[in-house]
Amino acid sequence: MRLFLTFIFLIVRVTSFAGDQLPRDSDYDYEAPAPGSYTLPVIKLAADGALLDSNNKNVQLRDLTHGRITVLGFIYTRCAAPRACPYAINVFDQLHSVSAKDKALTQNMRLVSVSFDPEHDTPQHLAEYSEWVSETRSGCEWRFATAKSHAELEPILAAYNQAVDQRPNPADPQGPLYHTLRVFLVDRDGRIRNIYSSGTLDLRLVLADVKTLLLEEARLSKR
Amino acid sequence: MNASNIKISINTSVRLSNFPKAVWAGALALTLTCNLGTTRADETCSSPYLARIEGQEEFVYVWTLGVEGLGDGADKLVTVDVKPGSSTYGKVINSVSVEGRNEAHHAGFTDDRRQLWLAGLDTSRVFIFDVYTDPSKPRYVKTIDNFEKTTGGAIGPHGAYPLPGRMLIPCLSNSKDKTGRTALVEFSNDGDYIATHWLPTKENARGAADANIADGYGYDARVLPRKNALLTSSFTGWNNYMTEFSKMTANPEAMKQFGQTMVMWDFHTRQPKKIFQVPGAPLEVRWAWGANHNYAFTATALGSKLWLVYLDDKGEWQAKEVAPISDVKGGVLPVDISLSADDKTLFVCGFMDGKCRVFDVSDPHKPKQIYEKKIGQQVNMVSESWDGKRVYFTSSLLARWDKKGADNDQFLRGYAWDGKELKPAFDLDFTALKLGRAHHMLFGSTKLGPNRVVASN
Repeated sequence: MRLFLTFIFLIVRVTSFAGDQLPRDSDYDYEAPAPGSYTLPVIKLAADGALLDSNNKNVQLRDLTHGRITVLGFIYTRCAAPRACPYAINVFDQLHSVSAKDKALTQNMRLVSVSFDPEHDTPQHLAEYSEWVSETRSGCEWRFATAKSHAELEPILAAYNQAVDQRPNPADPQGPLYHTLRVFLVDRDGRIRNIYSSGTLDLRLVLADVKTLLLEEARLSKR
Repeated sequence: MNASNIKISINTSVRLSNFPKAVWAGALALTLTCNLGTTRADETCSSPYLARIEGQEEFVYVWTLGVEGLGDGADKLVTVDVKPGSSTYGKVINSVSVEGRNEAHHAGFTDDRRQLWLAGLDTSRVFIFDVYTDPSKPRYVKTIDNFEKTTGGAIGPHGAYPLPGRMLIPCLSNSKDKTGRTALVEFSNDGDYIATHWLPTKENARGAADANIADGYGYDARVLPRKNALLTSSFTGWNNYMTEFSKMTANPEAMKQFGQTMVMWDFHTRQPKKIFQVPGAPLEVRWAWGANHNYAFTATALGSKLWLVYLDDKGEWQAKEVAPISDVKGGVLPVDISLSADDKTLFVCGFMDGKCRVFDVSDPHKPKQIYEKKIGQQVNMVSESWDGKRVYFTSSLLARWDKKGADNDQFLRGYAWDGKELKPAFDLDFTALKLGRAHHMLFGSTKLGPNRVVASN
């Protein structure tokens, strides 16, 4: 009950932010840049790969990284490292919450969480998260996916330079896998435009980047 | 609330797999109700984005300049075993030569610590090694050999600084006039070019304040993520660093071609914001690690001074001289510096007198020298373990600036540091071993390899 009440309180608090007015904190103690006041160079093309979505249907990663501005993160749900998956999920949830109040984000942004722990994070398991999202609010599209096997996952992880190693102790309190936190900003044409880690995955920066890409699209469409 | 408390609260309260609603609630609670004290650090001088070795390093990688007529004469990546108790402790266990002599200088790991990038100041080539598959035997992967063309004229890659998924390469020069006017360049971890950011000049300040003092020179580039702050320093161009030291110092015009500035950038947008007058070639930038320590040190090579760049009471970045480095007339040409993980101790190498000076910087505005030791006839780089118990030194500054004859001491020397004294642990003579001039050091560990654990989270 305590967690539930905390959750409700925080959802109200988060959704009361207008996105651009999100406060700075001690971890991100600076003013976020104005969207469109800077450019985001192309880093590389977002790689494709075969995945299973939370409906247990085959899906190509390419289809999840084209057509909308996508924030793509690699996770595993057994992770308990404080600055890794729980933190990333939190940021994604806040992005989703902000998008629910912003029509442009609802219509143009997509969140994608890909698990690199296919044995545990089955489509059925990921469906719990997907269903929770859809039951909670109607924000932007948020897709959950994994791969059928490690063999199909490996080339995807390699293409995104997503390091994942087994920890020697499977009962490690931080979870059985060690990994770097990688979150990618992908433009509508499937090009990676930014890469975040725990030190840069600031909700305000991600929002500024998404809006910068939207402004870039608007500018290019006028030409 | 400190970081260790947060770890405990997370580990005992929620697991993503069991209660999806609860974990999101828990994660939100952490962010909004706690002051998350992230440990953003590495073994004292590395990028905060780098996977960290908190415990005992097992290897020291030395990016080494080849010397004509010595061994194969080529630049090489030398691996030294520093595991206590190992039968090969303090010995060279691997050496991989690259093509030719490139004026080997600095190097850097990718953020996942799987690759080591080695930069050459003369040829502008960057050699990429795999240090993940077998950290005791780095494996050559490929070379970036079109640097000048792809970057639009930046040359002299000084090193490689890991950012999330990419590398930031601060350069020293440009192909047009080969002065110190230069740029920061970004490549993806795959080795593909991303962007070039030219240092602000009087003619093109790019929006930076105090443009009248801008010189466009570069050297080091380091980030304080918490403040979205990127700080750069300045040295000199190809014309000088590829000239014999005595010839250069005898040329008054050449001596005018040194950096006199540092620049504070908005890291996220890569836009220069403020230029500081820091005369005498400010070199290495060392941000403090403490959660509320909003400052960085640098040392000026020609000025022989310690400088502090800090956030003042009004929230403005400022720069000021805080201490002389020695009372030797003409200075000691301070080069590398290393700030301890607790922000209390600063090691400063003086190239000319071969001494390491140790400063108490508990009060960053009033550094006090507390110790000095002669390391060799010349000393350049210093690398400190994260726990502060071990300190390593190398000797070479630049091929044409190193001392001559018997004073051309070329070594890797390891010491134990107990807070009061440096005690020798091992000594490798890079000339006797026919390796070359020892320059930049980086730490390696098998714990970073496949199916192994690393200390950082």
